[in-house]
Amino acid sequence: MNEVAIIGAAQTKFGRLEEGLLELLCEASLKAIENSDTFGENFDSVYVGCMFPGEFNHYSGIASALVDRINLIPAAADHIKNGPASGGSAIKAGFQAIASGMADLVLVVGGEKMTHITTPGLVTSTVATVTHHEAERIHGVSLPSFAGLLTRTYLHKYNAKIEWLDAIAIKNHRNGALNPYAHFQRTIKDFMESAIKKGKGNWKTIEEFLKDDRRNPIIADPLRLFHICPISDGAAALVLCKAELAKKFTDTPVLISGVGQATDTHIIYEREDITVLNALRICSEQAYKMAKKAPQDIDVAELHDAFAILEAVQSEDIGFFKKGEGAKAASEGMTEIDGKIPINPSGGLKARGHPLGATGVAQVVELFWQLRNEAGKRQVSNANTGITCNFGGFGNNIVSILVERM
Amino acid sequence: MSDMSENYKIEKIEWIKCKKCGYLQYKSHLRCLKCKNTEFEPIIAEGKCKLISYTILKAPPMEFRDKESYALGIVEFENGVKALGQLTTQDDLKIGMELKPEYTKICDNLDGKEVYTYVYKPLG
Repeated sequence: MNEVAIIGAAQTKFGRLEEGLLELLCEASLKAIENSDTFGENFDSVYVGCMFPGEFNHYSGIASALVDRINLIPAAADHIKNGPASGGSAIKAGFQAIASGMADLVLVVGGEKMTHITTPGLVTSTVATVTHHEAERIHGVSLPSFAGLLTRTYLHKYNAKIEWLDAIAIKNHRNGALNPYAHFQRTIKDFMESAIKKGKGNWKTIEEFLKDDRRNPIIADPLRLFHICPISDGAAALVLCKAELAKKFTDTPVLISGVGQATDTHIIYEREDITVLNALRICSEQAYKMAKKAPQDIDVAELHDAFAILEAVQSEDIGFFKKGEGAKAASEGMTEIDGKIPINPSGGLKARGHPLGATGVAQVVELFWQLRNEAGKRQVSNANTGITCNFGGFGNNIVSILVERM
Repeated sequence: MSDMSENYKIEKIEWIKCKKCGYLQYKSHLRCLKCKNTEFEPIIAEGKCKLISYTILKAPPMEFRDKESYALGIVEFENGVKALGQLTTQDDLKIGMELKPEYTKICDNLDGKEVYTYVYKPLG
């Protein structure tokens, strides 16, 4: 099996953007190609992770359209679809192409354009089509409602506090404020102070602000607005090559040393314990094993905090904390940029934003920057090894990517 | 039926039990989640129904926007059958409380078809 290196990475700004889906994919792709010094090279294959190009943007054949617009013709081009883990699956496909010997130079790009959808409930309804149609969807579920059910069970079972989940949101907004690509480059304190200035209220602490039903309304009880990621536009891209060729393009390539993917039951309540993400336990174990690493070797992680509770349970099932202790650990500062195991220095889905297909790729883009000491004000010190969790469906199809310095 | 193109009526809360290993699972599986066996007997929900977890959803999907909010719960019957459904109230919900299933229309789906299924009402 060939070793696989990342030689370039880029992302667009995430947020409410003017550009269309194809423009965003082109922007991220060209920046990554420029960053990897492969402008004149012939790419063997291209993998595009995107969840809803047909539903939201009336595009089919998005990968073919991309290679035409930025002239990567005649590279093989595939659209990879695995729900909110489409980006992670696209990286896995790129990794497999090079590892197998079928390709030497690969572009992986993930993106989504969603904020132009204004019909109330349409994005929620479309995303909810990933759930089990008979057993879940027809009852009016949404992914936030699953997160609400999971949160309620977690708080009850582990005697945890909702304030510990607030701490995750506070941290991710604080990190996002240091990330020039983030959807929200504002701390929750910034949001509070701005609301005070506008005369919307007067709160003494962030904790008090986060309990205000008008400023931080309940969306899926007990989860509130600030526990939940925004709807965002954006794209992110990576250039991968056979590791033995990497130094031709850059002095500081990053190795993809572990990749894992696993599934779980479609119906969430068929799982023995909904607080356990079995697919993550399995796919992260695959990634650790391939890389010959263990959780204690990881210096920085990008987890899929579409909801604050997910960062907590993922930090447990990926092996950083014992079951039931992830939320508390976050509230004690252990996952801060200077903590024991920094999680989501990018701001995570909460603050960087969550353009569905872009997220899994953006997680690895962030790790690429962290491992090359290019993360600016949010740089984790001595970051040599990183891991991701890209969460598809509601935990029923998860991808984990492990990277390290070469 | 599974593409929801017809009027949709789920009249029974039905799971299946593996004839080989006895594992209980939702009726849509064609192979046992434990032993991969393909023969099952139907198991209809029976006995006391308890609330395992719940949430109150204030941002419903499009086809449920006629309501501002509703409660959703995961329930478990005495014979091990589990289900998810809307609850008839948002008030005084508690994990472990006993509920009673009620068959009713819950929405017109995005194709304009009527959907009938069970909702759960707290007892007492």
